[in-house]
Amino acid sequence: MPARFQSFAALTGIVILAIAISPAAADGSRVFLQTGNLTDILRQISLIGMIALAMTFVILTGGIDLSVGSILALATSIAAMCLTRMAPGMSYPAHIALAIAAAVAAAGLTGVLNGAVIATLRIQPFIVTLATMIGVRGLAKWITQNENIDIGFGRDVAASFAALFREKAIVIGSYALAAALFALVLARTVFGRHVRAIGDNEKAAQYAGLPIRRTKIWVYTISGLLSGFAGVLYAAENHQGNPNAGVAYELDAIAAVVIGGTPLSGGRGSIAGTIIGSLIMGVLTNMLRLKNVDSNLEMMIKAVIIVLAVAVQRERESA
Amino acid sequence: MSFLQAGNIHKHYGGATALQGASLQVQAGEIHALVGENGAGKSTLARIIAGSTRAGQGRILIEGNPVTIASPVDAQRLGIGMIYQELDLFRHLTVAENLIIGNLEFRGGSMEAFCHPFLQQVGLGESARRMVHSLSIGQMQLVAIARALSMNARLILMDEPTSALFEDAAERLFALIAGLKQRGVAIVYVSHKMDEIFRLSDRITVLRDGRNTGTVETAHTSAAAVIRMMIGRDLEAGQRAPRPLGDVVLAVDGLSTAKLKSVSFELRRGEVLGIGGLVGSGRSELGAALFGMDRVSAGAIRRQGTLGLVPEDRRLQGLMMQMSVAENGTMAVLPRLQRWGFLRRGQELAEMRGVAGRLGLHCRSLHDPVATLSGGNQQKVLLGRWLLVNPDVLFLDDPARGIDVGAKQDIYRAIDALAREGKGVILVSSELPELVRCCDRILVLCEGRLTATFTAAEATQEKILAAATSTGGHA
Amino acid sequence: MRRQLLAALTLASALFSAACGTGNGKRQLLVAFSQANNAEPYRAMQNALMQKLWAQYPDVKLVISDAQQDNSKQVAQVETFIRQKPNLLIVAPNERAALTAVMGQAMEAGIPVICLERDILQPNYTTYVHSDNVAIGRLAGQFIVDYLTKKYGQPKGNIVAMRGLLGVEGEINRDKGASEIFQKYPQIRMVADPVADWIQAKAKDRMTEVLRAQPQIDVVYGHNDPMAVGAYLAARELNREKEMIFVGVDGLGGPAGGIKKVTDGILAATFVYPLCVDKAVEIGNRILHDPAFHPDKDYTLDSLMVTPANARQMYDKFTVP
Repeated sequence: MPARFQSFAALTGIVILAIAISPAAADGSRVFLQTGNLTDILRQISLIGMIALAMTFVILTGGIDLSVGSILALATSIAAMCLTRMAPGMSYPAHIALAIAAAVAAAGLTGVLNGAVIATLRIQPFIVTLATMIGVRGLAKWITQNENIDIGFGRDVAASFAALFREKAIVIGSYALAAALFALVLARTVFGRHVRAIGDNEKAAQYAGLPIRRTKIWVYTISGLLSGFAGVLYAAENHQGNPNAGVAYELDAIAAVVIGGTPLSGGRGSIAGTIIGSLIMGVLTNMLRLKNVDSNLEMMIKAVIIVLAVAVQRERESA
Repeated sequence: MSFLQAGNIHKHYGGATALQGASLQVQAGEIHALVGENGAGKSTLARIIAGSTRAGQGRILIEGNPVTIASPVDAQRLGIGMIYQELDLFRHLTVAENLIIGNLEFRGGSMEAFCHPFLQQVGLGESARRMVHSLSIGQMQLVAIARALSMNARLILMDEPTSALFEDAAERLFALIAGLKQRGVAIVYVSHKMDEIFRLSDRITVLRDGRNTGTVETAHTSAAAVIRMMIGRDLEAGQRAPRPLGDVVLAVDGLSTAKLKSVSFELRRGEVLGIGGLVGSGRSELGAALFGMDRVSAGAIRRQGTLGLVPEDRRLQGLMMQMSVAENGTMAVLPRLQRWGFLRRGQELAEMRGVAGRLGLHCRSLHDPVATLSGGNQQKVLLGRWLLVNPDVLFLDDPARGIDVGAKQDIYRAIDALAREGKGVILVSSELPELVRCCDRILVLCEGRLTATFTAAEATQEKILAAATSTGGHA
Repeated sequence: MRRQLLAALTLASALFSAACGTGNGKRQLLVAFSQANNAEPYRAMQNALMQKLWAQYPDVKLVISDAQQDNSKQVAQVETFIRQKPNLLIVAPNERAALTAVMGQAMEAGIPVICLERDILQPNYTTYVHSDNVAIGRLAGQFIVDYLTKKYGQPKGNIVAMRGLLGVEGEINRDKGASEIFQKYPQIRMVADPVADWIQAKAKDRMTEVLRAQPQIDVVYGHNDPMAVGAYLAARELNREKEMIFVGVDGLGGPAGGIKKVTDGILAATFVYPLCVDKAVEIGNRILHDPAFHPDKDYTLDSLMVTPANARQMYDKFTVP
C-alpha cells in the first residue's frame, strides 16, 4: 500500500480527533467545523504548503533546499520596496505586476544559482543551499538596511496590493492551483519521471542518458520561484516586506514532505502525500490552539507526530 | 551425524513467500552444493543459516543440538561463516580493518600479523593496508573469503562466489575450497554453474519455489538431471544458425584512456563481438570510453548511428529499484512517449508489453516495483530499456552474471535476434562458454591492452585464458 | 491496516489526554492574550504578571499563546482566538504592520481588544496601553550628562551605545531620546555604537572589540539591561570595568532582572520600561465587569529611574513571586 494512504489515515484520525475535542460555539456547532475556521487552516498552511510542493521535487531528486526561508524574506522585501518606494507612473495593476515579477524573478534567479552550482560543480545540495540561506538572508537585510518595509492601509498601490493578495480566496486558490499543477507534472510528464529516476539512482540515470544537470537546475529553480511567490503572499498578509521573515520555514516544509511519505533519500513519494503532510500540521496546530494547549506542549506533541508518521511508514516498508 | 540439520524452514517477505518448508543437511567436511533458479530461495536459506535473516518458522540443529541463530555473531560463535554475493565489506576501511571488525577470533595484538596468513591464502598477501574501494570486484570477493577464513569457521556458506571472478581467480578459490575440505571444514556452495558444482561438490540439494526437490550424490547424477530438477523442463541445445555480416558500424582506432592502451577493432552489423578478460582488465572501461563517460586521451571512435550500454552492475548502475517495471523499461525513450507535454501511459504500456514478450520477461504486473523481480527478470528489464531505444550498437557488460539458467537462455536468444536485425553487439563476459557460444569473434583484453583476437571457430577456453593472463604467446 | 489504526489510536489518546488537561469548566469569562514571544525575559515577566493579576478574578479564565517571534504564527493564533469569541482579547504585537488587519477582524467580530506595548498601523483596538521609549531615552541621556558633569566638572566624555535589533521601535526611540540630549553638548562624543540585537552574549563580543579600539570610555548606554551587562562582562575581562559606568533600560524585577544588577553594583542605573500589564488588567477588568465603562483610546505609562539609592525598594515592587 502506498505511503500516502497511511498519511491519509493519520490525517483522518487527527481530523476526527479535532472534531471530537473542538469547543462548541454559542449555537452549539463545533468551532473546528465552521467554514471560517476551516478556511483559516487552509490559508495558514498555504505559504509553507506551496514551498513544500517544490521541496518535494527537490527531495525526490535526493537533494534538499535550505534556502527557501531566506528566499521568501528576499521576495517580501523586494515586493514591498517596489510597491512603496518606486513611483513609475503606471497603473496600479501594472505596478503590482511589476513588483510581483521582480520579487519572483529574483527568487527564481537564486534558485537557478543553487541548481547550477549543485549540478555543475557537484557540491552537496545541503552545503550549497546552506550557503545560499546565509547569503540571501544577508542580501535581504542589506537591501532593506535592516528595516521592515511597512505597507499601509490607505488607498495607495501598496495597500491595494495587500488588500487583494491577502484575500483568502487568492491565497488558498494559488495553493490549490500549484498543488494540482505539481501533482500533474510529477505523475504525467517526462520531467516528473526524470525527477524520480535521478533521486532513485543517479548513476543509472547517467547510464540511461537522462538530462541530469538540466533536471536538477530546474528543480531548484522551481523551488526558488515558489518560495518567491510565497514571499509575495507573505508581504500582503503581513503588510510588510520583512528581511527577518521565514526563519525555519525550510524545516516546516521538509517536515510536511517527510510526513507525507517522501523519504529524504528521494526516488519515491507523491505530491498528494505532501499536501496531506501540510494539512496534518495545520489541523494539528489549529486543534491545539482551539483547546488553548500550552505552546511548549504543542511543540512536544508535534515532535511526536512527526516521528510517529514517519515510523508508521517505515514499519510497512520493512515488513 | 550431520554437522548442520536445518528443517522445515519458512520465510515470508510481506506477501511473497521465499521458503516453504525447505531443509538442508550438511556433513562435516563435505562440499554441499545448494542450487536452484533465482527466486527459488537458496540465498534466503543460506542467509537464515548465517544469521543475517530470521526464519519465520523452522528448526536448526548443530551437531544434534537445537540452536537459535538470531544474528551473524551467533552464527560466528557456532562456527558458521558466510560470503555474500553482494560483499558485505566496508568500502572506506582497509582490507585488514575489514578482516578484524566484528571478528571474535581477533583478540588484540598486531592487526596485520593476524590478517597476513589469511590474505596470503587468497593471494592478497600485499594488500592489507589498501582501502577496499580501491580494489576490483574480484579482489573484494577474495577479501570476503579471507574474512570468513579468519573467523575460523567450521561451515562456510558461499553465495555465488565466482559470479564476478575470472577463471584464474576461480581456480584459486577452488584450490582453497579443496584445502578447507581437507581440514574438515564443510562448505555450502550456492551456485548456478553446473561445471563448478560437478567439479567441486559431494552432494547437491536442489530447491524450487522455496521447497526441496531433492538431494542427490554428485557422482550418481548428471547436469541435465539437476537442471530438470531446478526448472522442471529440459534445456534447448546451444547450436545456432550462422548470421550474415553487414557494414562496419563501429571502428575504434588506437583508443587510449586512463585504463585503456591503444585498443583498435571494428564491429560489423549483424556481428556479436565478445570481450574477454579478467575483472580490471579494462573491459568495462571500454564501454565507459565508448559511451563518453571516461576521457579519451588518444585515438578515434567512428560510429554509425546510436550506442546503447547495459552496465555491469544492474543494481548500482542500471535500475531505479523503487520504480516500476514499465517506468524502468521506458526510461530512455520518454521524450517520444509524450503528447502536448504529457506522457501517454497507454502507449508506454503497449511498447513495454511488446518488449516483455520478446525477452520472456515474467512479472505479475508492469506496475510492480522492479525490486520485486528476480535477478534474471531485472536484467531483462534493463535489456528491454535499450531494445526500446533501438540503438545501432549495443554494449552489454556481463548481462548474464548471477542470473538463473532459464533467463540466460532468454538473453542469449535476444542477443542473437539483435544481431540478426543488423545491430552490432559487443558482449563482455566472465564466463568463457558464454563467449564461445554467443560470439562471432572474441577479443581478449589484459591490463588495458588488446592481447588476442579469435574467431568463434578457433576460440577455446584455454586460449582465451592464456591471452587474458598474458602467460604465453602460443595463442 | 490494523497497525495504522493502532497508531492512530495511540496518537488520539495521547493528544486527548494532553488537550483535556486544560479542562472545560463552567460558564466563564475568557480572556485571550496573544504574546509575541515568551523567550525574552521582559515578555516572560509580562506573562507571569498577567497570570498573577487575572488569578484574582475567579470568573475569568486566561489563555496565553506564544507566537515565537513569527508574524504569520501570531496572525494565525489571533484568528483562532477570534473563532473562540473571547470576552477580551489582549495582543502584544510582534510587528506593527503584520497584526493590524487581524486585530481589525477581532474588532469587527465585536471583541474588545487591548493593544499592549507595541503600536500597530491603524487604531484597530479598543485601547492602547504603552510606555514612551523616547521619554525613557531622554531620562537616560540626562542621567549620563549629569554623571559626566560631576566627573569632569563640565559635560564632556566618551560614550558607547549598545544598540538593539535595528528597525525595531524600542531601538529607534531609545536612541532618539538619548541623542536629543547628547547633541546639546559638543564635548560629549559617541565613540562607538555597535549593534548587539538585544542579546547579552553578542553585546559582550561587540564591546570587546570596542575596548580594543578605544583607550578611554566613560559611559556605556545599553538599550536594554542584558546588553549593558554584556558590555560590563567584556570590560571586566580586560580589567577596565572601573573606568566606566554602565546604564541600561527595562528595569525588570526578579533575580535575573536589571534592578538586581543595580543592587549588585554592575549597573549605575536602569530605567524601568513598564510591563504595562498592571494597567492593562485594570482596564480589562473594568471592560469585563462594568458595561458603562468606556476606556480612553490611549494610556501612556511613565518610566522610573532605578539607582543604588532606591534599588531595594524597586526590586520588591517589580518582582513577581
